[in-house]
Amino acid sequence: MVPVDAYLALSAVLFGIGVVGFLGRRNTILMLVSVEIMLNAVNVSLAAFSQRMQDPSGQILALFVIAVAAAEVGVGLGLVIALSRNRPGTSVEHLTQLKW
Amino acid sequence: MDISAGQLVFSYLAAASVASASLAVTRRNPVHSALWVLALFLHVAGIFLLVGAEFLAGVQVIVYAGAILVFYLFFLMLLDLPSEAAGPRFGAHWPLAAAAGLACAIVAWYARGAELAPTAARTAVEGSSSGNLSTVGMVLFTRFALPFEIASLILLAAIVGAVVLARKGEP
Repeated sequence: MVPVDAYLALSAVLFGIGVVGFLGRRNTILMLVSVEIMLNAVNVSLAAFSQRMQDPSGQILALFVIAVAAAEVGVGLGLVIALSRNRPGTSVEHLTQLKW
Repeated sequence: MDISAGQLVFSYLAAASVASASLAVTRRNPVHSALWVLALFLHVAGIFLLVGAEFLAGVQVIVYAGAILVFYLFFLMLLDLPSEAAGPRFGAHWPLAAAAGLACAIVAWYARGAELAPTAARTAVEGSSSGNLSTVGMVLFTRFALPFEIASLILLAAIVGAVVLARKGEP
């Protein structure tokens, strides 16, 4: 039997990797991919809690996370398309118009 | 100390997930990153199987590895790739980003509650499977019926929003 702490450690490490990718990468699409890594990390801990508590609610919450992730991909990539129409490339460093 | 098959499988899945996630955020070519994320999604689906969440594993493969990743690859190939592969992968602030990621992982690890330690009552019923499709479907359509409908509303709003955002001309 794998202890639930092992799943939580894996989840924490994956979440940290996602944070590094989201804050560090310059490509807008890869920033969104890093958000997917973070959502997957949370799903791992939700599934582990579901097994530990013998309650399927955790799996239901993970299903909702997946649904919201699908919605996020649609809107996020629509934003990327709208941005790339105004200026070439997908680097976040070109997006400085709101900088004061 | 003998190692059970479950622990062995978990060790492999955890190591492979961490490795593919690290490769995904560090590769220079965005398409390679997306393919490493595909490897991550499949290994996370294996972890879902290991904890008895068979339906969740299926949804993970169909929605994440099937739909979402194909969407990302489509957009990566729609937008210009050569200019992305030439420049630096990380912004100038990457040490700050690495520190923030480390801090997030440490906080997430130390924020876990002490009540999550296995108790005798919990471990006694651990053998029974709760991840099958009928259990999940029953809970989804009774206790979580309203959130289920709200999820469909979110998806509808996302469809309309994506069409409006990606449309040519004045919105």
